[in-house]
Amino acid sequence: MTTHQTDPEKEKMMQENYLWDGSGTPDPEIQRLETLLADFRGSETALVLPAELPAAPSKFRGVFVNPLSLPRLAVAAAILLVFGVTLFFTMQPKTVPETGPAWEVANIQGEPQIGTKAIAADQAPSKLHVGQMISTNGDSRASLSQADLGEIRIEPNSRVRLLQTDPNRKRIQLDVGTIHAAIWAPPGTFVVDTPSAVAIDLGCAYTLQVAPDGSGSIRTTLGWVGFHLNGRDSFIPAGAMCSTRRELGPGVPYFEEATPAFREGIAKFDSNPQDSSARSAALAMMLSEARAQDALSLWHLLSRTTGAERAQVYARFAALVPPPRGVTRAGILNLDQSMLDLWWNSLGLGDISVWRFWEQSASPQPSANSQQLPQKKQSLLKQQP
Amino acid sequence: MAALSEIRSSHAGPAAVNACNDTGGPDDSLVRAAQSGDRAAFGLLYARYSRMVHGILLARVPFSDVDDLVQDVFLQALPRLASLREVSRFPGWLASIARNRATDFHRRAKPNDEFDEESVAAQSELVAPSTRHSSHSSAEAHAVLDAIRSLPDAYREPLVLRLVEGMTGPEIAARTGLTHGSVRVNLHRGMLQLREILGRNASPPAGGAL
Repeated sequence: MTTHQTDPEKEKMMQENYLWDGSGTPDPEIQRLETLLADFRGSETALVLPAELPAAPSKFRGVFVNPLSLPRLAVAAAILLVFGVTLFFTMQPKTVPETGPAWEVANIQGEPQIGTKAIAADQAPSKLHVGQMISTNGDSRASLSQADLGEIRIEPNSRVRLLQTDPNRKRIQLDVGTIHAAIWAPPGTFVVDTPSAVAIDLGCAYTLQVAPDGSGSIRTTLGWVGFHLNGRDSFIPAGAMCSTRRELGPGVPYFEEATPAFREGIAKFDSNPQDSSARSAALAMMLSEARAQDALSLWHLLSRTTGAERAQVYARFAALVPPPRGVTRAGILNLDQSMLDLWWNSLGLGDISVWRFWEQSASPQPSANSQQLPQKKQSLLKQQP
Repeated sequence: MAALSEIRSSHAGPAAVNACNDTGGPDDSLVRAAQSGDRAAFGLLYARYSRMVHGILLARVPFSDVDDLVQDVFLQALPRLASLREVSRFPGWLASIARNRATDFHRRAKPNDEFDEESVAAQSELVAPSTRHSSHSSAEAHAVLDAIRSLPDAYREPLVLRLVEGMTGPEIAARTGLTHGSVRVNLHRGMLQLREILGRNASPPAGGAL
């Protein structure tokens, strides 16, 4: 490339850059083709894996097959196919995964209720179906469990509704009260809706509380949890806490071992979204108190501040935890997501791609009647051995 | 200073796949986790590579069959993943499975089911009627896709990934395991040939850019 390019040459080069990586001057012809062909794009449907994996094919497949035996092999394959199809239909109820199983509810203490029906202490576990609510009063507790998901303990004065239960997504709603969740399902499978945020399990155990006014808090004891509302995300790793407020969504998470002044700064910062002077004072307090371990909070503050305040957060964060290769000050100040993700991953608190995967696969609204798999997925499942 | 992961090692999530400790490519740790049976990791690989697989297949087989074949490719890849010795070769390895699956698709097709542009267009209309395009532009979209498919292998694949799947050149290189140079050259040359075909097929100018 020379510095004496004529304008048409420069224009051509810029348009070639557009074909390469979308930068430079957009080429109208390519843009038109992109628009025209967009309907052919992959739909990002979820992958449906078989319950049991088929064995890997032999490396020697085909090498020792005598061509003369092919007709016999074809007959054998046909017999096997008939046998397989017969077996499939006779075993169908066992091989097709359950799409809408009820969850088991057990009485731990007092008289928890499903709807208006009390669960006695001495009765066998009851079933909670999609749409039903379990509630506890001041002296009752219950547990909610599903074999492939985990266990949720429901504390006194709580209301929990089961919203969704399909193979890839289990969803409950916590209106008020406290739950302790111990989840062994894959990250992103278990979701809890609360009045002020959605909690997404990313492989963990945690306690979630919702107050009567809809505000809430989460405390993670193992793994990490994502807290999400209207595009605002907070990640809460083990040992950390985060509060959430109606309409404001999740606040800045922090480690419980942070200094009292740092925690006080976060509380003031989160509770004064409109008061810029109070927020500035709180931010200054946090930045002066921050330790390397508080990088968790500083990372979140980057996206909750603007202008000069974001630059201050960057400076303090970079001084405590130098940004990894590929992360620049300019990129972070512009909230470049890939750079933010790189920096997050360098903290060793969890791989953020797990979260991005959840974001891509999450349905925008919980469906109270999502127990049925789409027809195409059902047919795919039926094809599995 | 010590990495925060060391400071807080006791809090590391057991189910999270941590790519930051990996010294290889960005997806190496995911591939290793998937090799050891971690289905969530395989799900992430699917999320990252399904567009690439979709594009490779779309460059070769009728649109109406692509979604099912994408699933097939990943279901074929899963049990074989353990045999992949160099995890960094996963992108190219997966791309090869996709290309082989497309070849296999045509080999298994009956003679009278051969790739027929008109029936493909008709099928595609049935499966994915465009909500954004008029029937005229939908027909034009099929014509453009057919024109891309008529290009040599080396050109049609990157063009489909770029123009249909919306991937950038660097992404295509990373996902397919090809070098930046070859992807760039193939995109450039493929685009030149595509412009030529579309210009040749175009009826007398009607004001469109093509």
